[in-house]
Amino acid sequence: MTRHGWAVPAAALAAGTATLVLALWPGPPAGTLEEDPAGQATTATPTGAPPTPTRIPVRPGDLPSAATKVAPVRLRIPAAHTDAPVNPVGVNQHTGELQVPPSVDEVGWYRHGPGLDATAGSIVIAGHLDGAGQGPGAFFRLGELRPGDRITVTGTDGRSRTYRVTSREAHPKTDIPLDRYFARDGKPRLTLITCSGPFDRETRNYRDNLVVTAVPA
Amino acid sequence: MPTRPFAGIHIGKSRNIHRFRRQEEIVRPSQLKRMLAVIALSILTTLGVGALSTGPAHAAASQVYVVHGIPGQPVDVYVNGQKTLDNFQPGTVAGPLSLDEGTYDLALTQPGEPVGNAIVTADDVQVPGGQNLSIVAHLTEDGQPTITPYVNDVTPVPAGQARVIVRHDAAAPAVDVRANGAVVFSNLTNPDEAKTNVPAGTITADVTLAGTDNVVIGPQQVDLAEGTVTIVYAIGSAQDGTLSLIAQTLTGTASAPTGVPAGNGGHAADNAGPATWQYVAVGTAALLLIGGTARVLAQRNARG
Repeated sequence: MTRHGWAVPAAALAAGTATLVLALWPGPPAGTLEEDPAGQATTATPTGAPPTPTRIPVRPGDLPSAATKVAPVRLRIPAAHTDAPVNPVGVNQHTGELQVPPSVDEVGWYRHGPGLDATAGSIVIAGHLDGAGQGPGAFFRLGELRPGDRITVTGTDGRSRTYRVTSREAHPKTDIPLDRYFARDGKPRLTLITCSGPFDRETRNYRDNLVVTAVPA
Repeated sequence: MPTRPFAGIHIGKSRNIHRFRRQEEIVRPSQLKRMLAVIALSILTTLGVGALSTGPAHAAASQVYVVHGIPGQPVDVYVNGQKTLDNFQPGTVAGPLSLDEGTYDLALTQPGEPVGNAIVTADDVQVPGGQNLSIVAHLTEDGQPTITPYVNDVTPVPAGQARVIVRHDAAAPAVDVRANGAVVFSNLTNPDEAKTNVPAGTITADVTLAGTDNVVIGPQQVDLAEGTVTIVYAIGSAQDGTLSLIAQTLTGTASAPTGVPAGNGGHAADNAGPATWQYVAVGTAALLLIGGTARVLAQRNARG
């Protein structure tokens, strides 16, 4: 207890000394900025001036030619027991819906979106959960994926690229943020889409879409 | 000439917009809102000098491109008396520039010539806010240099499709524009435009004298990339043998598919994740209760 009794005034003395030293230290007082950027800004050019590009881009008006993309050709997901060929697909011109391959053993890469070589955007591969008369599809067990699971996609260039699952989400088909999943911008990512939720035997449709997102591993 | 804000500018007539027959009739080409002003390149954005915009404050800026469609005539582009594009070459596209709504002056000169010796000028012209614009330097049907501003339709393009806009900016009479041999736009005259949405992909395009098979430009391959807006300009002079096509592609207009139908078997009711099992369990329980079989169930439980 004696030691403790000494400790308190000693600490107070030390703190007081430190304060005194700081107060006498040459230069600006503690807690005061050495510069005042806000003050400087008020003396700058008048407000309202638009940003200044360094130069105006000029490009030739050549007629556009088709860009090449590295299309996925094979998809392997060990954790979902998936090993399926990938075919390029577009949209149904009447409904605007993605044209998922008719065979449930195949999956479809959205050819209008980014390819495997893209530096931005969502590479979309859609596959059937199942099909009438065909049984379970390539994405039947997509719902079993967990964050960290690995996905391997082989491209037309012969290269295999590995992705790491980051999320699994389900949305009612009437309320799925498709713009986000089909975005052409943002960090490069792989988006797998299938069906899930309750099955309506009358319309032969599942209520929900299941979406698995993965990033380059 | 303050009472004629577009004095000296050849403003395109919009009458032809309604005349286009549409072989590729996917989306009705609505009449373009013909821009009521000529846009100038801004020395504000290039030189960073004081604000000259006179428009209402806080109106959205417009994205502005400049297209050079006068063959053999490089130009310097002046805005409000200041050189903004130096030695701008025919067949090229400059931009985009972000221009605030406001009033600007524009002049084109031969490279190195003073602004007082302009080939064509446009004074006291107003920039609208929040649009995507192309200002085209080109020849009139009679072969005189002129400037025509266009508002570009950058509304979303449906998934799987591409928007193509064709502008007649050549010293040539009325033309038809064909894709893969079929007339897509007919009787297009300088400086009018026509547009439609088509399935994305590469087409073979050519231009004929209206109502004839007399090809004056092409055929040429044009890739209409999905979700983009491709603007094709017919430029040059029929008399001088300089007719050609140049293009400008705008992006950021793509749309997602409307849905992903990926299952119609109903097998997931037999073997699927926990969510489905929950639905099955709830559904089964409800059916049992409705059917008045709860008692049977209770007896089973009692025996078990």
